[in-house]
Amino acid sequence: MTSQAVRKTLKEVKPILSLNRDEARRRVLNLYKTWYRQLPYIVQTYDIPVSVDKCKKKLREEFTKYSESNDIRLVDMLVIKGQMELKEVVNVWKQKGHIMAYFKDTVEPKPKDFLSKFLNGKD
Amino acid sequence: MLRLTVSRALNGAKSSPTCLSVASRYQSDQKKPDKIEVFIDDKPVLVEPGTTVLQAAAMVGVEIPRFCYHERLAVAGNCRMCLVEVEKSPKPVAACAMPVMKGWRVKTDSEMTRKAREGIMEFLLVNHPLDCPICDQGGECDLQDQSMAFGSDRSRFTDIDFSGKRAVEDKDIGPLVKTIMTRCIHCTRCIRFASEVAGINDLGTTGRGNDMQVGTYIEKLFMSELSGNIIDLCPVGALTSKPYSFTARPWEIRKVDSIDVLDAVGSNIIVSTRTGEVMRIVPRVNEEINEEWLADKSRFAYDGLKRQRLVTPMLRDNNGDLNPVDWEAALITVAKVVKHAGNSIGAIAGGFADAEALIALKDLLNRLGSEHLCTERTFPLDGSGTDLRSSYLLNNKIAAVEEADLVLLVGTNPRFEAPLLNARLRKAWVHNETDVALIGPQVDLTYHYEHLGDDPNVLRKINEGDHEFADKLKRAKKPLIIIGAELLERKDGGALLSTVQNLSTKLNSNEDWKVLNVLHKVASQVAALDIGYNPGIDKIKSADLKVLYLLGADGDHINKEDLPKDCFVIYQGHHGDRGAAIADAVLPGAAYTEKQATYVNTEGRAQQTLVAVSPPGRAREDWKIIRALSEIVGAKLPYDNLNQIRDRLDEIAPHLTRYGNAESANYFKQAAELSKKTESAIDCKPIDVKIKELQDYYMTDSISRASPTMAKCVQAVLKQKQSACN
Repeated sequence: MTSQAVRKTLKEVKPILSLNRDEARRRVLNLYKTWYRQLPYIVQTYDIPVSVDKCKKKLREEFTKYSESNDIRLVDMLVIKGQMELKEVVNVWKQKGHIMAYFKDTVEPKPKDFLSKFLNGKD
Repeated sequence: MLRLTVSRALNGAKSSPTCLSVASRYQSDQKKPDKIEVFIDDKPVLVEPGTTVLQAAAMVGVEIPRFCYHERLAVAGNCRMCLVEVEKSPKPVAACAMPVMKGWRVKTDSEMTRKAREGIMEFLLVNHPLDCPICDQGGECDLQDQSMAFGSDRSRFTDIDFSGKRAVEDKDIGPLVKTIMTRCIHCTRCIRFASEVAGINDLGTTGRGNDMQVGTYIEKLFMSELSGNIIDLCPVGALTSKPYSFTARPWEIRKVDSIDVLDAVGSNIIVSTRTGEVMRIVPRVNEEINEEWLADKSRFAYDGLKRQRLVTPMLRDNNGDLNPVDWEAALITVAKVVKHAGNSIGAIAGGFADAEALIALKDLLNRLGSEHLCTERTFPLDGSGTDLRSSYLLNNKIAAVEEADLVLLVGTNPRFEAPLLNARLRKAWVHNETDVALIGPQVDLTYHYEHLGDDPNVLRKINEGDHEFADKLKRAKKPLIIIGAELLERKDGGALLSTVQNLSTKLNSNEDWKVLNVLHKVASQVAALDIGYNPGIDKIKSADLKVLYLLGADGDHINKEDLPKDCFVIYQGHHGDRGAAIADAVLPGAAYTEKQATYVNTEGRAQQTLVAVSPPGRAREDWKIIRALSEIVGAKLPYDNLNQIRDRLDEIAPHLTRYGNAESANYFKQAAELSKKTESAIDCKPIDVKIKELQDYYMTDSISRASPTMAKCVQAVLKQKQSACN
């Protein structure tokens, strides 16, 4: 009884955008391509000290970060977020620092082993 | 004289209700009469005869407001705040002093009771200044709280003659307690504390009625090692802390539970901090150790934690000056020396070393192949030495001192070595008819004792039975022998301990009652011996060491002359004191308020301090310094965090991590048996103790030596001793 009920609810979950995996995948690829094509313009408009090649690598990195995500709803949600982000970039609602934040070049890694924690006085 | 009144009460002269309530707590072994039923706010409760209305009310959870009543002091019944209505009684009765009668119906919230309280409150406030905004008690004041809860909502006090409120001259009773006597409501708690607990009969009242004043009659210092407690006892702001005055408010303070380490008692304390500083230290109730009292050194030496601190690692250069360096440089230099020294490295642990640091240092040195790990304080190694815990603990526990009927103190001055133990002894002497005898120099213990001289051979005579005191000991049902750790540091300490061990096995009739008790002077000693340090530094002196590691060793037991010329001295600790002065490398550690650390008190009770403030500058927690050093030396210790090092402690001695629990020792007979092999004899050098008088008490360790308040106390006591009215 209960297992039936559970299955029922699982089936009837409301889709966000995509109805199946192929559709979700297509959306991801579309988003990727749009970002990819935009990259040279981003480098130009924001005047960032990073080459287009490096940006491409970073873009791939940002996408592959979620390569393990299998839930269609989650993929859709990430696509929506990615589109919002892209829109902010294209419309120059972001600033140089926001773009550079992807590269995290000013973030110092936290000390992990005992000795470096001790010498930094952090634990 | 105090003792007489109480004993009369004990013998059943039930004329005065005042004596009764004191007596009721000590009547436990007499045959109990039937319980009687009374009704508090219509709630029935069965109480023993002699219980006061206030105590009966407390049993059903009704708290009656009070100012003068304090459960650890005799009943005075003079504030009248605890007036309650008893049915069919024409007048309200003072709940703190009135024993209940059968079938009484007490109304603690009736119209009459409320009116009585309101009236008392009004009378108190007529002569109490309205200076709460500038009063240090503000926010933790009983008068403030109770006037909000029970006082009238309007004032009838109109000073039509503009004569002002009653004003009383402030008294100067020393550098610790500030008096603003206009605020005094004459509860006499301070007077009762002084005469009952502290044993100083200096405080008293003069005048009557509106002219009554609490004071010391003539201007003199309140010369007690427990004087700070009257600050806590005072329900209003008449007695406040001088060092704490105008520094912080109770509501802006962060309170951290901790343990005191300035003596071996291990009193429970609350460390109050604000803006990263320790603002004050107050006692925390622990019936088994300090009740709710705290010794002055523990309470007021905290300002020493801000001075003379080591804040950065330092290395000595060719000119002989210590230069500040960073941790990396210091650790690499030290590690190089340590590596080079191989197994000719030794360590001395001082009085403030915590168990974590002790175990880390021992593990490190053992990994380097050295066994030269010593504590500053000596302990005889003849017989069983420190192998059996029973020979170096205060086996019978601090609280049980109250039950003893005969206490023999040998080579100790508990009043200044462990003021709270002495308060217990005095409590036993006052309330339990305990007799005390002392072998050692004649000192003032605040109670009478039989002085058996300072010849150590008295001990031998008692053991052999040809001393008159031997019979007394034998007759005693619950005898107690307390030996000072200082006595055992003598050359013939082994013989003395062996004598006492044998004597106590002869007396020990009851399994639960432990006669043999050792009173230590420093907080680290028991933990160090439990972990397996060697007591005494003779081993260090005789070994040809290349490196000596001082873990907070400031006791002036070792100096440069005792060591080989090329010996490299590393000092790790929190104060720039004697140890740091002879060091070639200084590694700054954390004081007891700055680390979560384990200490074992003289009873063998493991307790932990908690972090109240962060260590100053580049100072680090002690065990972490040793752990970091071990990695650079190449003998990495297998623990990275507190839990892991505590697991290691647990592995060695499980009781070290059972916090709050006093692990009892055993094998008394075996220890005594082994000690019979001791060959050395007692020599006839008279027994001496280092701390004889109050001025010696205040500055005994690196924290209290750095404390200006403690220095002021010494000055004040010396000045008082010179003055005419002493």
